[in-house]
Amino acid sequence: MAQYPAQLDGVFVALADPTRRAVVRRLGHGPTSVGDLAREFPMTLPSFMKHVRTLESNGLIRTVKSGRVRTCVLNRERLTLVDDWLAEQRRIWNERTDRLEQFVTDPEENRQ
Amino acid sequence: MNPDLDLALERIIHAPRATVWRAWTDPSRLEQWWVPAPSRCRVDRLDLRPGGAFVTRLSDDGAEFVPHLDACFLAVDELERIVFTNAIDSTWRPASPAPVAMTATITLNDHPDGTDYRIVVRHGDPEARAHHEKLGFADGWGTVTAQLAARTEGRQ
Repeated sequence: MAQYPAQLDGVFVALADPTRRAVVRRLGHGPTSVGDLAREFPMTLPSFMKHVRTLESNGLIRTVKSGRVRTCVLNRERLTLVDDWLAEQRRIWNERTDRLEQFVTDPEENRQ
Repeated sequence: MNPDLDLALERIIHAPRATVWRAWTDPSRLEQWWVPAPSRCRVDRLDLRPGGAFVTRLSDDGAEFVPHLDACFLAVDELERIVFTNAIDSTWRPASPAPVAMTATITLNDHPDGTDYRIVVRHGDPEARAHHEKLGFADGWGTVTAQLAARTEGRQ
């Protein structure tokens, strides 16, 4: 994880906004056109496009243009960065607890 | 414990509570298990009182020690509880620690087989915690994000 701090920062920034989280949630059900997405949010299209661009620049979604329709696709791999980060935290504490138990149940330690 | 923000671990450690406490609070003992072997740990400061410093360093080669943890105790209850955070450093200066800011609470209780050892690590990122247990994620992600959004946005 340590080699991806900038990407992770970007993912958290992108997910810090409720509109952008809602877009991620919506795209979890499948690719959707920008037009269809925008209709679900109470804001102007330019405002909504800013959110789309933030998600895209941080790698959480990809957009593909076909004719006049731009379609948004969730980039699941990017979200796994968050998983990896948390799994790392849990791993550190689990291993630490393993080592603590090993240490305190070591017969040599108990004699002291 | 806020399930959206925290990681919790629970373990029965097969040793008396006093032994576990000593492994935590004696620097020479803490050094034996705090970091994964073969890395070595050096405890610079272990000032066990609220506001006291908790500073450890780490070495991969046994010669050069680099900063590991620079934290501050928030609560220390003899044989019962240790709370520390790296969100402020050992001089009480606000910090942006790598890899993550956290508050860790270690709780010890007697158990017939030894010590009931519990850890709660509190984080500041709700998205991260919300996602944590949903590894297989499309629906899980959607559900927890929806719950999170409902709370944070005050709708639904």
